[in-house]
Parts: sequence; C-alpha cells; structure tokens
Amino acid sequence: MSVVAQSERGAAHVRSERWAPALATLLALLLVAAAAEIVFDGAAGLSPLVPKSPQIAAWLQGIGERLGYRVFLIALLVSSCAYAGLVALVGRSSPGCAGAERRYAGGVISKRWAIGLVAALQLIVFVGPILLSTDVFSYIAYARMGVEHGLNPYTHGPVAIVHDPIYRYVGHDWDLVATAYGPLYTLLSYPLALLGVVGALWGMKLEALLASAATLALIWRVARERGFDPVAAIVIVGANPLYVIYGLGGAHNDLIMLLAMMAAVSLVATGTPSGRREAGAAVWIVAGALIKATVAVLLPFMIVSRRRLAPILGTVAAIMLGALIGYAAFGIHGIDVVAALNRDSAFVSSDSFATEIAHLLGKPGVFPVDHDLLKAALVLIILHLLWRTWRGYDWIAASGWALLAISVTSTWLLAWYILWPLPLAVVTRDRRLLLATLVVQGLFVIHQISPLLALVQ
Amino acid sequence: MSVAPASARRPERGDVWLIETTLLVLVAIVLAVATVNDLARQVGTNHRLIADLRTWRHYTGHDYHNISIDQETLGANTQREALCGNTSAGAPGAKTQICLAIWGPVLDGMRTVHGGWYLPPYVEDVRAKRYGCFGSGVEGICPR
Repeated sequence: MSVVAQSERGAAHVRSERWAPALATLLALLLVAAAAEIVFDGAAGLSPLVPKSPQIAAWLQGIGERLGYRVFLIALLVSSCAYAGLVALVGRSSPGCAGAERRYAGGVISKRWAIGLVAALQLIVFVGPILLSTDVFSYIAYARMGVEHGLNPYTHGPVAIVHDPIYRYVGHDWDLVATAYGPLYTLLSYPLALLGVVGALWGMKLEALLASAATLALIWRVARERGFDPVAAIVIVGANPLYVIYGLGGAHNDLIMLLAMMAAVSLVATGTPSGRREAGAAVWIVAGALIKATVAVLLPFMIVSRRRLAPILGTVAAIMLGALIGYAAFGIHGIDVVAALNRDSAFVSSDSFATEIAHLLGKPGVFPVDHDLLKAALVLIILHLLWRTWRGYDWIAASGWALLAISVTSTWLLAWYILWPLPLAVVTRDRRLLLATLVVQGLFVIHQISPLLALVQ
Repeated sequence: MSVAPASARRPERGDVWLIETTLLVLVAIVLAVATVNDLARQVGTNHRLIADLRTWRHYTGHDYHNISIDQETLGANTQREALCGNTSAGAPGAKTQICLAIWGPVLDGMRTVHGGWYLPPYVEDVRAKRYGCFGSGVEGICPR
C-alpha cells in the first residue's frame, strides 16, 4: 500500500473517530425519546396498546396524549432504527474481533455512558404503565388465587376468582387457562399477592427491573471474562427496543428466566472450571425452567459440552427438589410441565412465522399437520446442534440457536420470546447468532407496522 | 485479560459452517418474503376495512365509532364483510342495529353496499334474530 493511501485511510479513520461518539449520542437520545413518548402517551389513558390497568402512572398524565397505533409504531420504528445504528457502531468492537484487532466500544461510547443509557431506558419504562400485554395481570391473578382464595392455579383459570379485583384486568383469552408457569415462579409471586392489586403490580414491575439489571450485570461479567466487549454487550441487550418496550414494559417473567439462564452461563463461563460450578449451573438452569420451561433446552448442551458427572448430578438433584416442592405446593398438576407445554404449543398467533408462511402458501392459517412439521424441524435442529456441541462447538452458542429455533418454529410467537437468545448471542464468538437474532427481531417489528401503512394509504 | 476458553474460540470455517450459513441465509430469505407478503396482505385488509367503516358511516349518516365488522357471515376469505352498528345514539349494541353487506373494490375510499338487515338491541348477529333484509346480495341471510 502506498504512503498516500495509508495516510488517506488514517485520515478517514480519524474523521470516523470524531463523528462516531456524536452519532452514538444522537442515536441514544432517539432511543430515550421514543421510549419516553410511548410511556408518557401510554400514561395518558385508555389505549388499545395499554391494557386496562389500575392507575399506577397517573402522575405522568398530562405530559402526553392518548397512545395510538400511529405514534406507537413511529416510536417503535425510530427506536429500532436508532438501535440498529447503535449496534452497528458498538458492534465494530464486539464479538468476533478478537485479540489485537479488538477495539472496545469505549472508543465510541464509554462504560459510564452505556450504563447511563441502559439505566435511563429501563427506568423510564419502569415508572410508566403496563404496556402491550395483560400477562402481568394473569401472574397476579394466579398468585391471588393461591394466597387469597385457596385455589390451585394449576387446576383453575382466573375465571375462578371472578369477584376478585384483579379479574377485570386479566386478558379474556386467558380467563379459563390455568397457569403454564413453573412452580418456582408461582411460589415467588405468592408474597406479592399480599400487597393488594396495585402493590402486586409494582412488585412485578420491580421484580422485572431487578431481574433485568442483574441479567445485564451477569452479561457484563461473562462478556469480559470471555474476552468480549462488555460495553457493547450490555448496550446490545439493554437498549434493545423489544427488550425495553415489550419485555420490561409488560413486566414479563421471561426476564427472571433470563436471569437464571445467565447465572448458569456465568458459573460455567467464568472463574476456574470445576465440577461444583457446573453442578451449580445445572441447578440454575433447572430453577429457570421452574420459572418458565423453555430455558431447560440449555441443559443437554451444557451436559454434552462438559462431559462430566457434576452437571448431571446437579440436574437430577435440582429436578428432584423442584418436583418435591412443586408437588407439595400444587400437587401433580404443579409438576406436569409436559401438559402445559403441549397445551401452549397448540396456540397460534398472527405474528408467528408459521402463520406468515401459511399465508404465503395460500393457506388461511396453521393446521395441525403444520404443528407436527414444525416440531419435527425443531427436533432436527436441536439434534444437529447437539452433534455440533459434541464436536466442540460452543455450547452457549448452541443453546442460543436452540432458543432462537424454538421461537421461530413456535406457532405462538410474542415479542418477548425473541429476546431469549439475545443474552447468549452477545457472549458467543459465532456472530451469526447475533445477526440471526436481530434479523428475526427486525422482521417481527416490520410485521407490526401494517396499521401505519394502512393509515398512510 | 483472561484467555478465552476453547469453547469461545473463533469457530472453524469448514464445510459444516458453509452448509449451515447457506441454510440460514435461505431460511432468512423465506422468513423475509413471508413477512413482507403478510404485511402487504394486512395492509390490504386494513385498507379495505377502513373503506368499509367509511362506507357504513356514509350510508347510515351516523359518525359512530363502535361498528362491528364480521368477515365470516358472508363467507370467509371472500373479502365480503358485514358491518353492524346502532341506528341511533347509544351504547354499543344498545339500540336497534343496522348491518350492511359490503364488498367489491375500494373506490374513492369506499366500497359498494349490496344489501343489509336489522337486529334488535342486545342480540348477537345470528340468522334467527335478523329482520328487514334489503338489497340483492343477502339472499338467505334473513330467516324469512
């Protein structure tokens, strides 16, 4: 290379170094502004995007106007584009750029800046109303069924407490449906039932916020330990619009499941490898599965990767203890995970890729045979990933792919399901996982914007 | 800085990696096409339903917002819709309702009303409850 070319390249590099922090600040401001717009407008009152809820954000009323599809979708698009830009900026130094080539996102944004952005986004959503989902009211209803009414939430739907003050907020689709969550989650939610409806709602929001903060702290730790850029890792997860607006906005218990998942990963991926740590990781995964069953998919990958007795013993011990507690608290229905999974896997949502492909093929929707085909495809994918893990592929990446495959092949796809692989994707060397996860999330966002396009027409 | 563990090292770029990446790209293309196709389909449906609402308001002369849209009564996947709303001001379904059978292309933001029927207050739109059918496109919709 000539000296002139080298100096031109150097000048361009210096220029990009100058504008990158300014651009990152602008994108961060857009993210914060979009989140604030959704929260303030959501607090203004009745909206199809804000479920009927006790007035927990009344003090924000008057700042925004009633949240409509147009404003929400524009805010979602703005935050998605700003996020994509931010990922591109910090991603220049994230997974894949190992060794001497690696430049930390600190070159573009500092550690303090990244933590400030993520904290601001999460706190804005925390102080606002419940967004986009009635799930949290189901969580509270199941807790109140057990604590206030002496009913087993594994054998009754919320309709059994029709006179309870929480009932009017539960989504009608779930009136008759018994809880599908694990016994550990149900037991964790029981103390909140004692706080009344509003207290329980704040308790759920706080639980989600703390789980998110702890998950991000673990992501930081694992990323640093594995030689990745922790700043980029927490920005990619913590500033993700689906994570912030849908996940935290709805106070979903998926965030607690992700915390258990990252606790397990942290035990195996950091510190001196030992059987004790691996057994502990297995216990965390089982605990996560006793919150929401999906995370159990990590177990076979960890066991195949470690090839030691410790994680197997940890798994068996944790399952036995969990089953014992679940059985003691809720009877056989509390530990019948298969029945709950079978029931939920039969649901169909209009946002699922299965439905979209059915429409593409000229079918009105998903048929029973499609469920079987999708399950078969998922089994094949998981078997392939297990084989790859056996051959030395990173078990954390394989677990991430499995979680992504579960969400893509599910006929019941919700925004917070496609968050599952994200914490794993930022701590693995295989960048395809991060790219694939973000592409799937991008397609999900694109699929949401039809009301906006219809209004434009 | 700690050395990345073996499991975190850069993956090998062998045949398996190539096959996997090719499959991933193909899957991504299928998902993208399916998403865009479904988006276009939804936009078309929304466009049609907005035109139907405008048609109902124009036809009845009432600027009501609580109008129910049924896409099954006149045949699923036929793009024929039945829209029902109150004939006078009141809570949704609290007054005698007029239902319009609407289909055809969207012209000037509206579609064609081919007929309709009435429903008493507080009843579901079922055949036994319909009366006063009018127009040429609703044969067999009313009980008599």
